[in-house]
Amino acid sequence: MRIASRGLPLLLAALAIAYPWLVPNYYLVYAGALTVMYAAMATSWNLLGGFTGYVSLGHSAFFGLGAYGTGLLVTRLGVPWVVALVVSAVLVTAFAAGVGVAAVRVRGASFVIVSIALVSMMNLVVQGWRSLTGGSTGLQVPSPFPGLHRGQTHMVFFYAFLALLALALLVWWYVSRSRFGAGLRAIREDEDKAESLGVPTGAYKVTAFCLSALFVALAGGLYALWFGSLDPIFVFSILIGSYMVLMSLLGGVRHLFGPLLGALIVAPAGEYFLIALGETQIHLTATGLVLVLVVLFMPDGILARLTRRRAGPSIPDQSADQRLQEVTP
Amino acid sequence: MSLILQGLALGVLTGGLYALLASGLSLYFGVMRVVMVAHPAFLFLAAYLTYTVHTAFGVDPFLALPVTVPVFFVLGVAVQRLLVARLAPDNLAMMSVLLTFGLALTIEGLLGTFYTGSYRSISMEYATRSLTVGGVSLPYDRIIAFAVAALTLGVLFAVLVKSRFGRALRATIQHPEAARLVGIPTERVAGYGFGVGLATAAVGGTVLALITPFFPASHWVWIGKLMAIIVVGGLGSVVGAALAAVLLGVVEGVVLVTVDATWATMMFYVFVFLTLLARPQGFFGGRLAHRF
Repeated sequence: MRIASRGLPLLLAALAIAYPWLVPNYYLVYAGALTVMYAAMATSWNLLGGFTGYVSLGHSAFFGLGAYGTGLLVTRLGVPWVVALVVSAVLVTAFAAGVGVAAVRVRGASFVIVSIALVSMMNLVVQGWRSLTGGSTGLQVPSPFPGLHRGQTHMVFFYAFLALLALALLVWWYVSRSRFGAGLRAIREDEDKAESLGVPTGAYKVTAFCLSALFVALAGGLYALWFGSLDPIFVFSILIGSYMVLMSLLGGVRHLFGPLLGALIVAPAGEYFLIALGETQIHLTATGLVLVLVVLFMPDGILARLTRRRAGPSIPDQSADQRLQEVTP
Repeated sequence: MSLILQGLALGVLTGGLYALLASGLSLYFGVMRVVMVAHPAFLFLAAYLTYTVHTAFGVDPFLALPVTVPVFFVLGVAVQRLLVARLAPDNLAMMSVLLTFGLALTIEGLLGTFYTGSYRSISMEYATRSLTVGGVSLPYDRIIAFAVAALTLGVLFAVLVKSRFGRALRATIQHPEAARLVGIPTERVAGYGFGVGLATAAVGGTVLALITPFFPASHWVWIGKLMAIIVVGGLGSVVGAALAAVLLGVVEGVVLVTVDATWATMMFYVFVFLTLLARPQGFFGGRLAHRF
């Protein structure tokens, strides 16, 4: 059992590292890099959503800000791309701290609304600030590796996103075992009780918000360097934010590998829909229907379902009559 | 000065429409504690249906209402009974947002597939002129929109206050358990509440189709605007939502004529964040809003 649970992740990691060498063409490397990017983003989303239960549909705001920050630093100031990536992620995190202080004052549905407002707001700013960002025509970012052809760039960024994913998973794992993580879980279960027991809920929530924004911003920065052209409508779309939510929910928000599993299902499915159904909008319908089905029938995710079945229910599944028979002589 | 007046007048007219569009959201939140993100998507579904009726039969867009209003009422009851009521109650607020978000995506995708992504609009000859009062010109389409919104809101309030169903609905909003104790079938009433909310979306959609061009993704802007209105007004407060709608409509109108359209839309989000910092439960929200 232990060998299986330890060995499986190692095997999967080995497979992931070997993936670009195993697939026959560069398109699949590209699709793989995209999937790993979404997995990294969903895992970082889960730092907030999974621990605290605060569902943010607006994490694409941090993705877009990270992307635009990196792109602007490279194009306008001529900063080396590594520096631009880190500086922009740090700036976005500082921004997230400011937003977080206001946003986590409200719970539940209001928080979701605020997160939607945030991404719509950023979309407006970036499109409106034409002189800096290029407005709705977008921003062109020079490739950091001009010597490599397109396929090799896909490979480089596949590994970059893989490293980011590993980092996000490591942080999630570390937090889940820490006192901080226990505090965040207490917030999810009952925020008022947690606060009355002395958990600094406000500070914890803002910290989780920032941590989660940091990794999403890094993913955004890498995306900017990878794609080389930024479209504000895509980068700041609520769709990207909802993908993170869908992946996490589908896989299971309470599990380390839940968002990763969700991303492995949703991202390739999305790419497939795009190829199979072409440029129509029907892929939105597919995403929407899957989200409805997951919310209705599997809100705890696939992993929760699998693990519960293996471990067996903690309270035996029997009727009151059966239980009464056990205790009556 | 006349520019400011113009902005004020337009703002009040638009605010009336916002009040109608946000009233449905307040209803859903009241009866089920559900934030219905799909409301604007249904608005544009209604707008497209109106467009179809208008172009196919060449009739006045308002003649689509006898078809769309009952259809949307039934749709609303179905959404509540078949989807929202099935969610686990312990995490209803979050899950309902995600559920209705999924619905919104579904509708947007279908609209994009059937009607393509290009702009549509309905322009009636009577709606293109405008009325000039004391240097302020008021387009007829805005006046019609305001009048229809005011009329619908008036009927809605009359139903809520006077009718037996309205009393049952308000009782369900105020205290579901107590309402059940005195014999109100709260589940059925909640379903009808959703139906009424979606019926207002049918009216709102027709009006929107008349005053503005639309495309499938335009509901996103409206999600932001309408959510801002109910957050500023206080979740669950119908009166608060109406007041916030007029307030934000006026602010939008004034900023629109003095600065530009980007900042006008931005004001909604600025107000959301200001409200959260100053008074997270909204300016008119009471007991209900506090937990959400």
